[in-house]
Amino acid sequence: MHPTYALMADPMPKKRVLVVDDNPVVRSFVRRLFELEADFQLSGEAENARDGIEKARNLNPDLIILDLSMPDMTGLATAPLLRKLLPETRIILFTVHEDPELERFASAAGIDAVVSKYQAASELVVQARALMASREQPDHSKIRNAS
Amino acid sequence: MIDPDISSTRDIKYPDWQREFEAALRERDPKVLRQRVDAAEAAIFLRLQSLANGPNEHAEQEAISNALRTLRTFQREKLGYPDWNKK
Repeated sequence: MHPTYALMADPMPKKRVLVVDDNPVVRSFVRRLFELEADFQLSGEAENARDGIEKARNLNPDLIILDLSMPDMTGLATAPLLRKLLPETRIILFTVHEDPELERFASAAGIDAVVSKYQAASELVVQARALMASREQPDHSKIRNAS
Repeated sequence: MIDPDISSTRDIKYPDWQREFEAALRERDPKVLRQRVDAAEAAIFLRLQSLANGPNEHAEQEAISNALRTLRTFQREKLGYPDWNKK
């Protein structure tokens, strides 16, 4: 097959995103944000941590956008379970909480990046792309964001 | 201590989110409190997104930080949310 046809027949697959946040407005906002991006698709939404773990198991997403404060489990407690379940999936903690120790806790929990809800949400897409690129790299170098 | 910026319903400085926040503060019905807190968080989140794309409004951001601390306390102490910062 001519290389051009091969490219047309096999376009770069969209990266699948799962958003886990107890607030429906935030989930809707993130969904609309990623719907605008040609290289991502929102594959699922979960309204709490347990639902998030279940959907992660079923959907096998490339990226999980995870809230910190949820009614059943914190994002910090959820992340190690997700990491064990899906070692290759990247996790972004998307949080409104600002705490100097949060970055350290997040890293220890296996979270790849922290994005503050104080920042423009487009930063989520920037971090998502960087993490997807790092996923392709052999060393899986992680991205950290001071927020 | 309640922030003076948010203690009076007659003097709403930040209408984009303060009414929802005050509704959460005033709510006494535990069954409705979760909805009020969620609505306040949602309004604050949307306002933060507007602020992130606009001029720096330091005073409002400070008021939002105070409001979020209060909502976090509500979630932990009244709604039973786990504390992520438990040492």
